[in-house]
Amino acid sequence: MTRSIDLEADIGEVLLSEEAIAARTAELGRQITADYAGSNLTLVSVLKGSLPFMADLMRDIALPLRIDLMEVSSYGGTATESSGLVRIIKDLSASIAGEDVLLVEDIIDTGLTLNYLVRYLRGKNPASLRICTLLDKPARRLVEIPVDYVGFEIPDQFVVGYGLDYGERYRNLRFVGVLRPEVYTPPE
Amino acid sequence: MTTAPEPRPAFAHASEAELARILDFYQVRWTYEPDTFPIAWSMSGDVVESFSPDFYLPDLDLYVELTTLKQKLVRKKNRKLRRLRELYPEVRIKLFYARDFRMLLLKFGRLALADDLSGTIGQATPPRSADRIVVEAAAAAAGHLAGDRGTAGSDTVPSPAARGRRRGRRRRRGVPDEAGGLPVGTSVEPPATPLSTGRAPDGRTRDHRPVS
Repeated sequence: MTRSIDLEADIGEVLLSEEAIAARTAELGRQITADYAGSNLTLVSVLKGSLPFMADLMRDIALPLRIDLMEVSSYGGTATESSGLVRIIKDLSASIAGEDVLLVEDIIDTGLTLNYLVRYLRGKNPASLRICTLLDKPARRLVEIPVDYVGFEIPDQFVVGYGLDYGERYRNLRFVGVLRPEVYTPPE
Repeated sequence: MTTAPEPRPAFAHASEAELARILDFYQVRWTYEPDTFPIAWSMSGDVVESFSPDFYLPDLDLYVELTTLKQKLVRKKNRKLRRLRELYPEVRIKLFYARDFRMLLLKFGRLALADDLSGTIGQATPPRSADRIVVEAAAAAAGHLAGDRGTAGSDTVPSPAARGRRRGRRRRRGVPDEAGGLPVGTSVEPPATPLSTGRAPDGRTRDHRPVS
């Protein structure tokens, strides 16, 4: 029998409330506004997880800016079986050559995806490339990449909400929470 | 001109094979057990314990050691890792515990694999006890090795000391055995000057790149 999903009941703990996320995003927005004054700023959001963060962050940046979206295949996803290699599912819609690019991520964990993205984007000759992430989870980091703006450093727990998913669900939660182990642990 | 992909190494554990696939997917180069680090010597200077991290990621200058044993059983591995960090502070190494690996698989939606890849179920070769390693190393150090190949009969397996001689960029070769001294297995400080820092006899490391 398929288990029914109860979004909030599946959360064991609220790690970051809606209010805390909003406050920190506003702080990051002010910092980015100050740092990028006078620049040709392009925010690049990595679908799908960073969508809510991107939408809120860009409205907290008081500068003329462009936004663009990318999507990259993930190991274990449906794209894995066909190619065995990470690939761009949706590329940028415009050139970033000469632009000051700020890559907006939802979470940095192992750094494997970010490592690939940074190499890919550097090949497109931006004037500068910096990284902004809502969540930083350094416990399992394999690739050390300097991150310029970090919303929250979080402990090694599996989190969902505010764009982050488990099985493509829970993205629409307004907060970031820790998924109850019973949700993802196979039954005995 | 295309070249044939290099054959996969014989991983000792299924979890290592899975991590290799993940690294390949994200186009991170790796080599499997390329280096052996001596971490304990007898009084006569022979290597009695060594540590061969599972993976080396050359682009990141990082070793990765994977252990999917239960946390309480990794005490020995933690000790070896601490010793390695003391002796080789320039070496960057990350240890992935069973929980870390499990969470990694969860992240990639492959948690169902976790049990199959963990513990002894996923091992390709039986685990070796610490005592057996030390005894074999002592026997090897006493001169039962044939050159650098370390073969010593069908009922034995290559000792860490033998593997250290057979391959790896960082190794120290002990002085010839002499009478007296403390019992084999006594951990002592390494010789002040490494007696040999040469490459493995065949001079190769197995460098696996993803198929492009």
